[in-house]
Amino acid sequence: MNGNNPPRVAIVDYQAGNLYSVEHACRCAGMEPWVTSDPKSLSGVAGVILPGVGAFGDAMRALRDSGLADALIDFSHSGRPLIGICLGMQLLLGESHEFGRHRGLELIEGEVRRLQISTTNRAARVPHVGWSRIYPATRGSQLVDWAATPLNGIEPGQSMYFVHSYVVCPAQRDLVVAESVHGDTVFCSALRRKNVWAFQFHPEKSGPRGIQLYRNIAGLFQADTSMPLAGESRDGSPRRELRHAA
Amino acid sequence: MSVRVIPRLDIKGPNLVKGVHMEGLRVLGKPEQFARHYYESGADELLYMDVVASLYGRNSLLDLIERTAREVFIPLTVGGGIRSVADIRRVLRAGADKVAINTEAVRRPEFICEAAHVFGSSTIVVSIEAIRQSDGRYLAYTDCGREWTGLDAVDWAVKAAELGAGELLVSSVDRDGTGKGFDVELTRQIARLVSVPVIASGGAGQLEHVCEVVDRGSADAVGLASLLHYDFVRSGAPSGHATTPKTQEGNLEFVRRQTAWSAIRSVPLAEVKQCLWNSGVDCRLN
Amino acid sequence: MPHESLPAYYGLPEHVTFCTRCVMSNQRPCSYPEFRHTKDRRTPTMHVDAEGVCDACRYAETKERIDWDDRERQLRALLDRYRSNDGSYDCLVPGSGGKDSIYAAHLLKTRYGMHPLTCTWPPIMYTDIGRQNYLNWCDIGGFDNVTFKQNGRAMKLLTRLSIENLLHPFQTFILGQKNLAPKLALKFGIPLVFYGENEAEYGNPIADNNQSLRDKSYHTMNDISKLHLAGVPVPELIERYKIPLVDLMTYLPAEHTLYDRQQIDVHYLGYYVKWTPQEAYYYSVEHSGFQANPVRTEGTYSKYNSLDDKIDGFHYYTTYIKFGLGRASYDASQEIRNRHLTREEAVALVRRFDGEFPARYFQEIMDFIGMQPDQFHALCDKFRSPHLWVCEGGDWRLRHPVWQQLTAVDSEQIAESGTNRNAA
Repeated sequence: MNGNNPPRVAIVDYQAGNLYSVEHACRCAGMEPWVTSDPKSLSGVAGVILPGVGAFGDAMRALRDSGLADALIDFSHSGRPLIGICLGMQLLLGESHEFGRHRGLELIEGEVRRLQISTTNRAARVPHVGWSRIYPATRGSQLVDWAATPLNGIEPGQSMYFVHSYVVCPAQRDLVVAESVHGDTVFCSALRRKNVWAFQFHPEKSGPRGIQLYRNIAGLFQADTSMPLAGESRDGSPRRELRHAA
Repeated sequence: MSVRVIPRLDIKGPNLVKGVHMEGLRVLGKPEQFARHYYESGADELLYMDVVASLYGRNSLLDLIERTAREVFIPLTVGGGIRSVADIRRVLRAGADKVAINTEAVRRPEFICEAAHVFGSSTIVVSIEAIRQSDGRYLAYTDCGREWTGLDAVDWAVKAAELGAGELLVSSVDRDGTGKGFDVELTRQIARLVSVPVIASGGAGQLEHVCEVVDRGSADAVGLASLLHYDFVRSGAPSGHATTPKTQEGNLEFVRRQTAWSAIRSVPLAEVKQCLWNSGVDCRLN
Repeated sequence: MPHESLPAYYGLPEHVTFCTRCVMSNQRPCSYPEFRHTKDRRTPTMHVDAEGVCDACRYAETKERIDWDDRERQLRALLDRYRSNDGSYDCLVPGSGGKDSIYAAHLLKTRYGMHPLTCTWPPIMYTDIGRQNYLNWCDIGGFDNVTFKQNGRAMKLLTRLSIENLLHPFQTFILGQKNLAPKLALKFGIPLVFYGENEAEYGNPIADNNQSLRDKSYHTMNDISKLHLAGVPVPELIERYKIPLVDLMTYLPAEHTLYDRQQIDVHYLGYYVKWTPQEAYYYSVEHSGFQANPVRTEGTYSKYNSLDDKIDGFHYYTTYIKFGLGRASYDASQEIRNRHLTREEAVALVRRFDGEFPARYFQEIMDFIGMQPDQFHALCDKFRSPHLWVCEGGDWRLRHPVWQQLTAVDSEQIAESGTNRNAA
């Protein structure tokens, strides 16, 4: 376990959006953020945050051209936490249909699709901008327990800030940790696959609750997840305590 | 989808100001203090407008944005004097989440597409200042309602949304600061023709106005200035003007005298949300 | 900048100097009794002192040092002498229902317990918003009002003549406004007249301000035959233009002997009460339902000054032609003195708005006075003083606009930084 030093977290800079807020939220939460666009820098950090606001196609182009796409894929294999936020979440997936068809990082199987517009249901305007409630995803007859996730301490039904026109549709349903509603659409607002966590909303813009989420993320980074924990095999399959969140 | 309550701060130099019809700007205090207060009171977002920016052709809020983003963890939209992709980038990197553009979008509508493409539509808010004509039409203005664009405001709103605006900030210049209520008809006409969120601004003078523009105007969010600011001033909480140095700019008479401004029935932000909630409108309560 | 020797009309100073604090220049005309206003007069102008500060800014300095409590004591003492106890009118407040007259009348009535009668010399051509504000003054503010509706035929003719001879469309209004109140006061037996701010605030000689009584030369006369209207001697107006004397009397001040029989004191409330124009605006919104125009006045950025007359825009445009100073210059300078604007912003505003052509009501006014647009433009060009204007490629431009003037401050900064700091 890391001792008293704040975990060093890389925030990937690919010229898309508001890094300052993410950086500042990390600092408030007790991490040492490092904004970087250098692919080589990802190897030496406790965790990586892939934030983003912008267009999928341009973003992927920027990631590929800079070598960051490969570095992110490599990083994800290290077992250390990789956090995707908003566009960052969408880039983790296989394919997007924004302004044409684009391939993402393909770390999570699935698609990125546009939210449906409904002109009669005023609530369903696109982009989806504003505060929406998040709920634990269903797992059979049960609800995902957020206790062992970065959503620990957040009550089901509390609101987070969203601003997006596209949503992720992961192929494996059981990756979904939280869901939200827009108009008639239920969509994935948080997911997890092994060491990869992703949030459609912006925790750094979601008030004190959002900062709580960043503190929980700091906790993730502080646990040295490259070492297997008791009861867990090296491929990262869940320990008994984490079973509910998987 | 909750309706958003967004305090609107018009900023000139170091001061938060408020006028009527966007003129006659009175100093009400220091923007940071108001921003902090509104964040703590449950504001859903904040809107900073640099009201002298268009005159100078530049946005001067970078320091303020940085300081705000340090303390306030809700989305911040910044407008005023934003003329290029580089300007947008500068403002976002300082800590803003969205930008509001008017003059440049009117001058060069392609700018909306360019900006949306680089930063994503949801980052780009097109701000429309409208003045109602005697025949019921609305004309679009720039520069705090000083310069006519030659455009019909509703037609322009539709076009801006088509070009890639993620949201529309629709302000009534003739209602601004009067406390007579939003221009519900203006909001309604635009909201029914576009599929992007519409933020109504200008004219709220009492609680009922807020519910009215959401209900009959189909607003997705409300921008509130006088309705909130005068309450905070009256509470006596803002500090720093009692011993103002003589060289300070702005009409400070009002804050010095601490008189009332009865045109507006100013209230705390929490009451606005409670009123919305009580009238059946979904909004985020703490 | 080398200064060529060019003729300066109206007796204006040859060299253009701007105040270093506001954006007024030494070309600014001071108020002058209009009935002595002829084509050949030498206009008295505002003084800019050796330190580069104008009279109005100097007055603003002294305003900061005034003991307003003492002034209020003086006001109360004055009012106590005149306050009626039988419900009769004890003071007369002239105005049009603009922010200043609303503030004055309302303050006198509600704060000082006086019984004001208001009186109005109506605008040459009422705007809708001006008329509504006037009505609101009476109906929401709550005042009795006497309005003197002028003989429109005479007014039209005099307006046209003043434009032709003096490029001064506003003369009939200025004369009427200045002279009506004292005459009505005489007729109604009201001993006190209160105007709002003192014109010295804006650059008329400082001496004026240290007394609140208005300079009697503004509203008295001794001999009609020596007076001019629209730049024409009164006898000529009667003989040549066939305007009977009775139609001209409205524009002339009261005979001075009338004042000797009845004591009428004309005061500026601005002497006794600290006047912040912007707060007068908010006050009048609050107490009288005053409405500003959501669309700015042409030639300036302001929306709450000078709203009620369609000819206002003309007045400021012709001032711009004759003196190089338009409405934005006036508004911005006043706001600088009240510390509502920085000089940098004022210069940017002047550059943007000063001298804007008053297109909105142009045709309507041309029709009203029976003049062709071309005629008006030709007249304007005739009145441009060569020391202020130059024509290049068919376009007129100011030789010395304020945004190209280096003030003493700028010169210092340039010397210090070694770089060229260009304002706006």
